Amino acid sequence: MKDIFRVRRMWRQPGELKRRYDVVIVGGGSHGLATAYYLAKRHGITDVCILEKSYIGSGASGRNTTIIRANYRTPEGAAFYRESVALYERLSAELDFNLMFSQHGHLTLAHSDRGMVVSQERAEVNKLLGIKSEVIGPARIRELCPQLDLSDRPAYPIMGALYHPPGGIIRHDAVVWGFARAADRLGVEIHPYTEVTGLERDGDRITAVETTRGRVEAGQVVSATAGWSSLVAGLAGMRLPITTHILQAFVTEPVKPFLDVVIVSGQLHVYVSQTDRGEFLIGAEIEPYTTYKGTGTLSFLEYSARHVLELFPQLERVKVLRTWTGLCDLSPDYSPILGKTEIDNFHLSAGWGTYGFKAAPIVGVTLAELVATGKTPELIAPFALERFHTDTLVSELAAAAVSH
Amino acid sequence: MRLGPQPRELIDRSQRVLFTFDGRAAGGYTGDTIGSALYASGQRVFSRSFKYHRPRGLLCCSGHCPNCLMTVDSVPNVRVCVEPIRAGAVVEPQNVWGSLDRDALAVTDKIGGPFTPVGFYYRTMIRPRFMWPLYEKVLRNLAGLGKVDERHHGHSRYDVEHRRARVLVVGGGQSGRAAALAAATRGPGVVLVDEGMRLRGAELEGVEVLAPARALGIWEGGLVPVDAGGVLYRFRAERIVVATGALEQPLVFPGNDLVGVMLPDGVRRLIRDFAIRPASRAVVLASDDDALEVADELREAGVAVPRVVDLRTAPLGRIEAKGRRGRVSAAVLDGRAVECDLVVASAGRQPSYSLLAQAGARVEYEPSRGIFVPAELPAGFEALGAVTGEGCATVHPLRSSGARNGDKSFVCVCEDVTTKDVDRAIAEGFDSIELSKRYTTVTMGPCQGKLCQLASIRLYARTTGVSEATVGTTTARPPWAPVELGLLAGPHHEPARRSSIHFRHEEAGATIQWAGPWKRPYAYGEHPEDEVRAVHESLGVIDVSTLGKILVEGPQAVELLERLYPNRFGDMKPGRIRYGVITSDGGRIMDDGTIARLADDLFYVTTTSTGADAVTAWFEWWNAVWGYDAEIVNVTGALAAVNLAGPRAREALSRLVDDPDDVAGDAFRYLDAKELDVAGVPCLALRIGFVGELGYELHFASPAGEHLWDRLVAEGAWPFGLEPQRVLRLEKAHIIVGQDTDSESNLLSAGMSWLPKLEKDDFVGKLAVEHVARREEVERLVGFTMEEDVVPAEGAQVVIEGRPGGRVTSARRSEAVGAVIGLAWLPPERCEDGTRFEIRVDRRTVGARVRHGAFYDASGARMRA
Repeated sequence: MKDIFRVRRMWRQPGELKRRYDVVIVGGGSHGLATAYYLAKRHGITDVCILEKSYIGSGASGRNTTIIRANYRTPEGAAFYRESVALYERLSAELDFNLMFSQHGHLTLAHSDRGMVVSQERAEVNKLLGIKSEVIGPARIRELCPQLDLSDRPAYPIMGALYHPPGGIIRHDAVVWGFARAADRLGVEIHPYTEVTGLERDGDRITAVETTRGRVEAGQVVSATAGWSSLVAGLAGMRLPITTHILQAFVTEPVKPFLDVVIVSGQLHVYVSQTDRGEFLIGAEIEPYTTYKGTGTLSFLEYSARHVLELFPQLERVKVLRTWTGLCDLSPDYSPILGKTEIDNFHLSAGWGTYGFKAAPIVGVTLAELVATGKTPELIAPFALERFHTDTLVSELAAAAVSH
Repeated sequence: MRLGPQPRELIDRSQRVLFTFDGRAAGGYTGDTIGSALYASGQRVFSRSFKYHRPRGLLCCSGHCPNCLMTVDSVPNVRVCVEPIRAGAVVEPQNVWGSLDRDALAVTDKIGGPFTPVGFYYRTMIRPRFMWPLYEKVLRNLAGLGKVDERHHGHSRYDVEHRRARVLVVGGGQSGRAAALAAATRGPGVVLVDEGMRLRGAELEGVEVLAPARALGIWEGGLVPVDAGGVLYRFRAERIVVATGALEQPLVFPGNDLVGVMLPDGVRRLIRDFAIRPASRAVVLASDDDALEVADELREAGVAVPRVVDLRTAPLGRIEAKGRRGRVSAAVLDGRAVECDLVVASAGRQPSYSLLAQAGARVEYEPSRGIFVPAELPAGFEALGAVTGEGCATVHPLRSSGARNGDKSFVCVCEDVTTKDVDRAIAEGFDSIELSKRYTTVTMGPCQGKLCQLASIRLYARTTGVSEATVGTTTARPPWAPVELGLLAGPHHEPARRSSIHFRHEEAGATIQWAGPWKRPYAYGEHPEDEVRAVHESLGVIDVSTLGKILVEGPQAVELLERLYPNRFGDMKPGRIRYGVITSDGGRIMDDGTIARLADDLFYVTTTSTGADAVTAWFEWWNAVWGYDAEIVNVTGALAAVNLAGPRAREALSRLVDDPDDVAGDAFRYLDAKELDVAGVPCLALRIGFVGELGYELHFASPAGEHLWDRLVAEGAWPFGLEPQRVLRLEKAHIIVGQDTDSESNLLSAGMSWLPKLEKDDFVGKLAVEHVARREEVERLVGFTMEEDVVPAEGAQVVIEGRPGGRVTSARRSEAVGAVIGLAWLPPERCEDGTRFEIRVDRRTVGARVRHGAFYDASGARMRA
């Protein structure tokens, strides 16, 4: 309790960069910070620095729609996210920082036979892996979310839903800050406003990282830079099978509690939740074109508004307050690219599309283990970059493309 | 409370308007806003604040601040200060437990204040974990402003209009009007948009005036949506003139949010527009000449003004407002109290540069004037008047430094963020304006920074000891002002595609369902199995107009198709049909269908119902790359199609054609394509067998749909829907792309290793198909029969040693086979014919056996008959 009243720095004021670190992590978002935290916490590796080109959490970590879930389609994906949700559930206590994880449940609506089949498949995979997930009909949907328009009025009437009780929303910035504080207290150095401009490569190794604040030598390098992953890998002379797209979202003005569960519709390409502050948080599909330009489009707002009102006609007069965009690093099979690369001491967390934030703690745990032991944990083996050479892809399109 | 007639008043005193407020009768005049009418009737507390539930009164009277948010006719968060009065309106306070004057939750201000510093929630309620849902429930109920009317079922009328203008002027102040008039002298097509009430119905020569209407932002390519109430105008203009003026900035001092602390413009509006005497004794703290003029206007309105301070010159250090029950009772200036019931205070004006920033202008700080100004405007934009910084300057808005014991000093009234909160955030290490914004939520409320961004930046700069230019601003994001979801959504149209035979299906009582963009019959009765039986035993007909249909024609049509498909087409004779699958460059199955060669240089390609557009685009794209002499025409909508299938199909067809010999077995073989007049309708007839019986797919001009359908039904064909078709095709183990395959499936593992012709020079995906052929197989799609009479879910998991080892993609009970049959992906070592495996069904596992080949009529004798 005393921490509430005592003003104490969350993290140290960044000092000068040292000449060398055992581990240099590029990217001060949830993945980079989590990796640093678990390196220090579980493996005692504290000679770690995080290089962030802007402020911590300025990229996808602070721009996502805060949804946490494990109901993926492939056994590989579902098992991975199951561990992530389990870590998230304990994370507030572990970090002693309230991340406000509200697990009110997550409903992926089906408006067609096809939608029902996809839901069914996900439910079956999930159940077998011990993930709470089931296909429910309109009567049960009405109990969980009486506000939804379940009549046959909408152009796409609701036939059923994939119900995932542990799914929910979390305060995304708090995840960043919680990891940052905990990592900092274990000795990790966080350097915001320090952009990586070059990676010095000597054969199969990265020897040093060049930044806007000077050069640092590195024992191992981790890139956790989401939308910029292909650019960072490019600095090391590596090409990644990743395209960068924008994803847009908006919030409305706050209103009193109306919606507890997270509602997703793949067919309508929209997802809706209501934050603890009372705002509706609404997102849509990734934009089909590739760009790094973070300006949004009006058509996105119009399209999303139309589809939200299909689900919740009562929200017609609720007002849109703010829109924003974030960058998504999309891999060809909609599964992440995680772990070792062709460069011995350069490790990746990339290819996250729209589902990276959900994975932050488990990425931290597994990447830290990889960095510390040199061995790829089994959980992330299917996501190796190498799969694009062996052509053993993990098809997550059905559950990841729009389904937040 | 009303003054005598004012020269520019907006009210019409001859027309009284009645409404209800908080259950009581209230009234005003035509021309009033709900806010002005309430103020005139003596109401001073208009809302309770977001976090502390402090009483709040009118502040800006321009629809920017959160202080007058009420629920009007069940619509939450209405800014009543700009909401026109209307007869019978039901106006209610919101976010209040009790009444506006006595709100039980105000206790959070008294006791909660010291206990709820910024970041409070992040540090509390962590343990025990099971208590969090309970805490959260309480928090959720405290948060939010107005309440959504859950019974409201929408459907207000909204329209969208696409507009084009030569010159679009945003902002109807002096410079905006002058610019519009000047532009009008050079030709038509000038539109002026202004968000205020004053220009309503105004006439400017040669200018179309839209007011009150609000430019919401500047989007891609200079698109400017304008919110004009029930209409959204989507403007594109050759030139956009931004004359959005400047916004008065509040001063930050202890008690600066008390009811009765107002911005000068707000006070001026009450007097000038609505002829209201705002108070009896006012103190004016001015930072520009405009505010000084307000002091004069107050005096003219009969308000005593015991003290006017010009903050630009006065060495005034400390300001504090004292209140009684939330309403201002005195201004304490350098320790000397001046009794008053109104404090008019501003720090000066900051240009409203948001639209320009959205358009791409840079924003820079001018230290000499204490304002941020837009610079480097993008081409096609022009800024005029105060938005450029002209006539704008601010004094340092923070007047409370060193105050420790006084009332709270609010930097952000929307979110109840105090100077102490910002100081604390910085001390905790949230030391960039963006981090601080996210931690304190300053600028994230309903005003979106209009009244708090400048103060927070300057406070931040002062506390951290860096310059404002270094601190910088947060990103200007659209919309400029909150906009209703309904308006953005526009009129309600959700396109659905229906075949030309659709209404026959409805008449026949079919259950209609979505299938991609189409509405299609699921089945015609309660028992799809009856429809299956009809096809097997007699004759059925299904509407397959939804199939994609593409004509590929030209001297190089065959080269194009050979390169697009893994199949070979060069060896096909005109009049023959081949099944084809399109693969992506990664060798993944994208779509399938039939390709009929109608002539040497003419092919008729069908695709899946959902794939037509994507396949057409794919063809066109590749042909643009390769440049073959071939044309691609998507005729999906122009042609209808039906599949007549069943043992009686030939007999029925022969009665509908001129010469029965045309459809005789030898004259029209399996996989032949032929032009036939059927019931007088010229058709392209394709003899194919997706459903496993003798069948003819007839493609013909859509308008003849109902005619041909009726004739076929009259010949005894039973209409059958999608569901029976799924059973029928499953009996033949025919796959459905997208159901039995996913985005990573390839030809070899989907059991079509015979299809790709690897000896061809090239085709899209060849490299990948070759690679797959070389590597170890990962999984394979096979048929299976269940050992018990249970139908596993499509998506059910194959369990191998307790782990997911494969998946069922299709499963149905088949009467004809006498078993439950399906398709599943299995590990290659378990794909031998007859291999037993287990499928999870509900909470148990059920045995199944691999079965190669078709389940029904394995030799294909029936469909080749």
